[in-house]
Amino acid sequence: MENVTRRTFVETAVKGSVLALTFTLPTGTLLLTPGEARAKEVPLRKLSAETAQILEKLGETILPGATAAGLTHFLDHQLAGDPNDALLIARYFQVALPYSDFYTAGAKMSEAIAQKSAGKGIAAMSTAELHTLVKSMSAPGGVVAGFPIFLFYMCLRSDAVDVVYGTPAGFKKLNIPYMQHIMPPEQWNG
Amino acid sequence: MDKVMEAVDVVIVGAGAAGSVYAAVLAEAGKSVLVLERGPARKLSDLYSSQIWARRLKWSSPEVVETGPDTIWFNFNAGRGYGGAAIHHYAVWPRMHAEDFREKSLYGKGLDWPFEYGELRPHYDKVQRDVGMSGDATKEIWRPPGDPYPLPPVLVTNHGKVLARGFEALKMHTAPIPMAVLSQPYNGRPACIWDGWCDAGCPIGALANPLVVYFARALKAGARMQSDSAVSRVLTDATGEKVTGVEYYTSTGDKVIQPASAVVLCAFTVENSRILLNSANSAHPHGVGNSSGLVGRYLMVHPAVSISGMFNEDMENYSGATGGQLLCQDVYPKKSDPGGAFGSRQWEIGLALKPNDLLGIAMTNPTIFGAELHKFMADGARFMGSMVGVCEDQPVRDNRIEPDTKQDRFGMPLARIVYKQSDDGRKLWQTAAAEGVKIFKAAGARDAWPGPPAGQHIMGGTILGTDRTNSVLNATSQSHDVQNLFVGGPGTFPTSSSVNSTFTVHAVAMKGAHHLVGNWSSLKG
Ligand SMILES: Cc1cc2nc3c(=O)[nH]c(=O)nc-3n(C[C@H](O)[C@H](O)[C@H](O)COP(=O)(O)OP(=O)(O)OC[C@H]3O[C@@H](n4cnc5c(N)ncnc54)[C@H](O)[C@@H]3O)c2cc1C
Ligand code: SF4
Repeated sequence: MENVTRRTFVETAVKGSVLALTFTLPTGTLLLTPGEARAKEVPLRKLSAETAQILEKLGETILPGATAAGLTHFLDHQLAGDPNDALLIARYFQVALPYSDFYTAGAKMSEAIAQKSAGKGIAAMSTAELHTLVKSMSAPGGVVAGFPIFLFYMCLRSDAVDVVYGTPAGFKKLNIPYMQHIMPPEQWNG
Repeated sequence: MDKVMEAVDVVIVGAGAAGSVYAAVLAEAGKSVLVLERGPARKLSDLYSSQIWARRLKWSSPEVVETGPDTIWFNFNAGRGYGGAAIHHYAVWPRMHAEDFREKSLYGKGLDWPFEYGELRPHYDKVQRDVGMSGDATKEIWRPPGDPYPLPPVLVTNHGKVLARGFEALKMHTAPIPMAVLSQPYNGRPACIWDGWCDAGCPIGALANPLVVYFARALKAGARMQSDSAVSRVLTDATGEKVTGVEYYTSTGDKVIQPASAVVLCAFTVENSRILLNSANSAHPHGVGNSSGLVGRYLMVHPAVSISGMFNEDMENYSGATGGQLLCQDVYPKKSDPGGAFGSRQWEIGLALKPNDLLGIAMTNPTIFGAELHKFMADGARFMGSMVGVCEDQPVRDNRIEPDTKQDRFGMPLARIVYKQSDDGRKLWQTAAAEGVKIFKAAGARDAWPGPPAGQHIMGGTILGTDRTNSVLNATSQSHDVQNLFVGGPGTFPTSSSVNSTFTVHAVAMKGAHHLVGNWSSLKG
C-alpha cells in the first residue's frame, strides 16, 4: 500500500515533530516554532501589538506555558495566511471569515469586560484578576453584547492546547506515544 | 461564452463516500465517468498524523447560514476535497434495523422508506465484503440478518474492558463494534496498527475511506476525478424530462458546462439540495426534481452526547481505533425510552483519545483552565474513558435547506438552514446523558460527565419515497421528475435511525448504481 513504507515510529524524528512555520525576518525567511519566533521577536503581520498582548495574557491564564509556546505567533501566522490552509479550530466552529476579525473582536470584548468588571485593562491586571476574568468568559454559551464570548474563549483555549500539547513534544509531556504514521512536513504551513 | 467540455456518460458531483460507490460501479460497467469535486485533490500521503493538520480537511468558510434555533454542526460534519468527510470518518458501520425502514407503518411516527431492510441486505453484504469489515455478528445480538463479517473484531484495550464492566453491572450487553477498519490484512491493504489517528485520515488504507476502496477501483476502470470544480447547477433539456449535464466553476471563476448522459449528485446532504434548488429553470420553476416541493425538507441530524470520565486504572486510551472498541444497542427499541420519547439510541464505547481538538481530552471539559488544565490533561492522558451516545432524530417537514439571500463568489445563493431539534431527539439525548454517566459510575469512574449537545450525520433534504407526494427520489435514488438524475448520500434517508450513516450510504448507493447500470439504455439522456 502507498506510504506504508513512509510510516515511522522513530521518536526522535526531527522532521515535523515540532510545530514549525515559516516566519519572515528582515534577514530572510526562517523555519521556526511559534515559541522560537516569539523569542526572536519576529514582527507580527496581522495582529496589532495591543490585540496580541491581550490574546497572550488571556492565553497564558487559560494554559500557563502558552506564551512561551508562541500562542500569539501561531495565531498571527495562521491569520495572515490563506484561510483554506489555516490550522485553526475556528474552522470547526463555523467562525466567519476573516478569522482575524473574530480574534480582534474577542480581544476588544475581553478588554471591555475587564474595564467594566475591574475598572482596569487586561495589561494591568494581576494574575488573580485575570483568573476571575477568564472564569467569567468560560461560562458555557456566554454571549456579551451580541458577541459569543464563550466561543472566543473556547477557540483561544483550543489554540493554546494545540501549541502546548498538540505536537509530538506535547504528547511527550503527557507521557503518551505519538505513534504517527506520517509526520506533518517540516514546514507546517505546507 | 461558457466553455463546453466533451460529453461523458456520467458526471458524479462530489468525491466522497456516495460518489465513490457510483464511480466504481459505473466505471466498471464500462461507462465514461467524470467525478467533479469542489475541494482540493488529495492522496493518502497528504494525511498527516496530527489533529492540528486535520483542520485542513474542513471548509474554512462554510457556504451555509445556520439560522437555528438549533445547529446541525455543518462544518464539523462536512468534508472537503477528495474523499469528502469520509476521508477522516471513523468507520463505525452498524446496519440500520428492519424497523427503521417502516416507522410510519409500525408506529405511526416518522416516515417509511420505499423498501424494507431485506431489499438492502444484499447491498450491505456486498459492501462489507468489498471494504473488509471487522466485527463479530454473533455477539451483536441486535443485528438484523446479514452475512458474518469477513474479519475478526477490532482491538479492545483496557479502555473497552473497563467500560464494558459498567454495562455488565447494569445488565446491558456490549459487542465488538462493527467497523470498516481492517483487523487483518485484506485485499492487498494492511491491517490497522491501532494508533488512533483516524480523525486525521488513515494514510495506510486500513480504514475504508473512499480513496482506498471504491475510488481506487473506479480509477482503475478508467474514471476521472477533477478537483477545484464547484458544481452550481444541474442542466435539463427544454422539456425538463432529462438532465443534459452540469454547470460548474473552476477555482479561478471560469464557468464550464459539462454535458453528460446521466448526473449523480453526491455532494453531501446540504449541498445536494442547494444545487437542485439553484437549478430552477422554466421546466422546473422550483428547482430541478422538486415537483414534490420537498427538496431541502426533512433535514435531520443525530443528537449525540459524549460521556467522559476519570478512572483509577490506566485506560490505554491513546490506542485503538478512533471510533471505539465496543457497541451497545440495548437501547435501540423505538419505545424503550423511560421518559416516553420515541426513537432508538446506541453507544459507541472506548474512543481513542488525543490531547487536543474538538473531541480531544482538553475539550471534554472546556470550563477548566489555568494550572488545573495541566493537571486535567495529565490525569486524562492516563485515566480518561470515553464513549458516545447517538440518538435518533425525527423527520420534520419544516426542518429545511433553502436558498439564502447571500451568495457565494460564483453568485450561487448560500444554503440557509432552518432546524429545530425534534422533541423526541432532545429527550433521547437527555436520557442518554444521564444513562452514560450512570454506566461510567458503574464501571468505577471517580468522576463522569456528559459533554454539551452535539450533532452527527446530517441527513434528509432529498429523501427516498414511493412517489412525488412524499419524496424527491424513488427506491433506486432516482429523481421522480428527471429519470437520468440520481442522488447519493445520507440526504436520501427518510428516517435517521440512530446508527452512523455511512454503511447505509454505501448500500443505498450500490442499489442505485446497479439500477442505473442495469437500465442504462432507457435511462440515459
Ligand atoms: C469526524 C467525522 C467522523 C465520522 N465518523 C463516522 C463513522 O464512524 N461512521 C459513519 O457511518 N459515518 C461517519 N461520519 C459521517 C461520514 O463521513 C458521512 O456519512 C459520509 O462522508 C457522507 O458521504 P457523502 O458522500 O454524502 O459526503 P462526503 O463524503 O462528505 O462527500 C461529499 C463531497 O462533495 C463535495 N462537494 C460539495 N459540494 C460540491 C459541489 N458544489 N461541487 C462539487 N463537489 C462538491 C465535498 O467537497 C465532498 O468532498 C463521520 C464524519 C465526520 C466528519
Ligand atoms: S487506528 Fe487504524 S484505521 Fe485509524 S488511522 Fe490508525 S491504522 Fe488507520
